[in-house]
Amino acid sequence: MSGSIAAKLKAMGLELPPAPPPVATYVGFVATGKLVHVAGVGPTWGSDIRYRGKVGQSLSTEDGYAAARLTGLNLLAHMNTACDGELDRIARCVKVLSLTNAGPDFTEVHRVANGVTDLFAELFSADAVPSRSATTAPSLPFDIAFEADAVFLLH
Amino acid sequence: MSHDARLAALKIELPNPAAPAANYVPTVIAGNLLFVAGQITIFNGEVRHLGKLGADMDIETGKQAARLCGLNIISQARHALGGSLDRVKRVVKLGGFVNCTPDFIDHPQVVNGASDLMVEVFGDAGKHARFAVGAVSLPRGVSVEVDAIFEIA
Repeated sequence: MSGSIAAKLKAMGLELPPAPPPVATYVGFVATGKLVHVAGVGPTWGSDIRYRGKVGQSLSTEDGYAAARLTGLNLLAHMNTACDGELDRIARCVKVLSLTNAGPDFTEVHRVANGVTDLFAELFSADAVPSRSATTAPSLPFDIAFEADAVFLLH
Repeated sequence: MSHDARLAALKIELPNPAAPAANYVPTVIAGNLLFVAGQITIFNGEVRHLGKLGADMDIETGKQAARLCGLNIISQARHALGGSLDRVKRVVKLGGFVNCTPDFIDHPQVVNGASDLMVEVFGDAGKHARFAVGAVSLPRGVSVEVDAIFEIA
């Protein structure tokens, strides 16, 4: 890994997790033209699930935010592979779909989703924050607390 | 082997492309990308696989439901491309929605029904990125809904 994004990650004290292996019959990302479509990932470090459960029940909104931030790092881990270790090839994140594992009465969905988009705002230029859809899911694979997928634009 | 030839060799019968249920279109082509709207478990007008995973449907049936969503996706794509799948360069993305109880955790296994079909029909070009998520309810009470993005030549 090299370049200014990698340097920024280091300055922020952040490390990329290993790119999460797909848990089923799909791949981590597909590149088409200048777009890279990254599969849904969660708050994992390799095969270790760091945040399980429902936000607003067994987990706080702050836990959810941290889970979302770790999920964002996993999206970047796939991008690091897609860019052969040169994260500076990313022009911006175009779109994030944010899925919070929560019950029907949970209303802090947007604050949880900020965990991903704050990370991208800090790493990429502030005028290139992604568009985003934030919603809840009544359940997620393996009871992960948060899941997101994303589309990135390359230079 | 071309995609059309492989589909014929596999003796896979595609459903007729279903008309959208509301004010939207089933497919949109934008540049080299083909977007397919969410497809449900309907076969030539007959709604199949109603139910909820974790309550009244087992994983194997859920996989069959996801496969039928995949068959509808391929049918819509073929229709949008003038009756042939041979312009498909790659299945880029699937989005899988599983109608399930709050304690259900096996969404990936269910959505594999659609993912496995894409690899069966398109080979390496069928390997895609995807997400899988639980839904508290789905249109008409179906168990699975899947949408897709294709790259086309």
